[in-house]
Amino acid sequence: MASQFDLVIVGAGPAGLTAAIYGARARLRTIVLDEGMPGGQVKTTHKVSNYPGFPEDVKGAELAGLFAKQAERFGARIARAVEITKMDLSSREKRFVLDEDEEITGRAVIVATGAKPRALGIPGEDTFRGRGISYCATCDGAYFEGKDIHVIGGGNSAVEESLFLTQFARSVTIIHQFDEFQAEPATAKEALENPKIKVMWSHEPRAFLGETALQKLRVENLKSKQTSELPTDGVFVFVGMVPRTELLKGVVPLDRWGCVETDDSMQTSVPGLFVAGDIRAKRFRQITTAVADGTIAALAAQKYLRETR
Amino acid sequence: MSENVREIQAAQYEAEVLGAPEPVVLDFFSTECPPCEALAPKFEAVADQFKGRVRFLKIFRQGNRDLAAKLAVTSSPTLLFYKGGKEVGSRLTGDIKRSEIKQTVETMLA
Repeated sequence: MASQFDLVIVGAGPAGLTAAIYGARARLRTIVLDEGMPGGQVKTTHKVSNYPGFPEDVKGAELAGLFAKQAERFGARIARAVEITKMDLSSREKRFVLDEDEEITGRAVIVATGAKPRALGIPGEDTFRGRGISYCATCDGAYFEGKDIHVIGGGNSAVEESLFLTQFARSVTIIHQFDEFQAEPATAKEALENPKIKVMWSHEPRAFLGETALQKLRVENLKSKQTSELPTDGVFVFVGMVPRTELLKGVVPLDRWGCVETDDSMQTSVPGLFVAGDIRAKRFRQITTAVADGTIAALAAQKYLRETR
Repeated sequence: MSENVREIQAAQYEAEVLGAPEPVVLDFFSTECPPCEALAPKFEAVADQFKGRVRFLKIFRQGNRDLAAKLAVTSSPTLLFYKGGKEVGSRLTGDIKRSEIKQTVETMLA
């Protein structure tokens, strides 16, 4: 027998958990499904400085925990570490099978599956993933005590995580394709003033090299077109994100970046299906914008449930 | 923790992993690692599913750094698969799905 919900939310990041807070407070039977633990990208961000209400920085993992706790306080159920193995959104009552085992249904669905780190797509990346290449500084940073490491990227994540990595590494060399950071000026300034951080401007990675583990990083100087091989103890990659829309392929149209188009109430072309957060086609992706999307999606879902009762 | 998952130390690696008569899945995990926390319940669920046929072990990376380095494990979590004392198949790392573990184990058993 399937468990019935009013609102099924897929993805327990800031967008999904905010939608859950609003859904549960509106007395909707609300469930949030996540493949991992709640928090989305926030839980692997070492600190968050731009979320209102936290005048001192807050650890990403702590903020993620608070979002989840607040949603659960109002009665939302968060199903952790579950995988959707079957899904049918075409009928009025939408159905999900979890881990090939449990079946649930819901009349309104909010997909807030977010984004995952973009891979570079260069030779050696698949071979040395986990053997010298990492995408998570909080997971692996502490193992690089006294080591010389490289960071690829120049946006907020790359620069902030580089600063975090200086706690452990002897040196952090940032490889960046442009000749200035895209990160917020305050963060960029802090990095440029950090004696452990060096920057190779106008360079792009070309290949990861090594025998059983990563040993060298091949880079190209975009101005002189010369390539060189840099010995490295480890490389962290922060070159943006790609939307996690695998679930929605063939269900709704995706734009050329793989994002989902919605109207301003987060409604998709499928009745009762809303999307929120980083998977939505939009200009800016922040925790605050994800939270806003989640709010709007939950309010629009309530309206939809009322009108189609 | 499920009774079908045991934690080992580096000193037991040879006997428990390389010397195992059945195939082995070994999980290198860390603290302060959200994907490791997320993996734990999935790892246990798959371990329960293959009970008696496949050995599921976990090892704390911080406490066993030399072995991790020797095996070139530099990310947490990383899953390694063994058959007949040899590592087989591709390692899984980062955000690992339950279905990926199951599929890799099934391939190893086939």
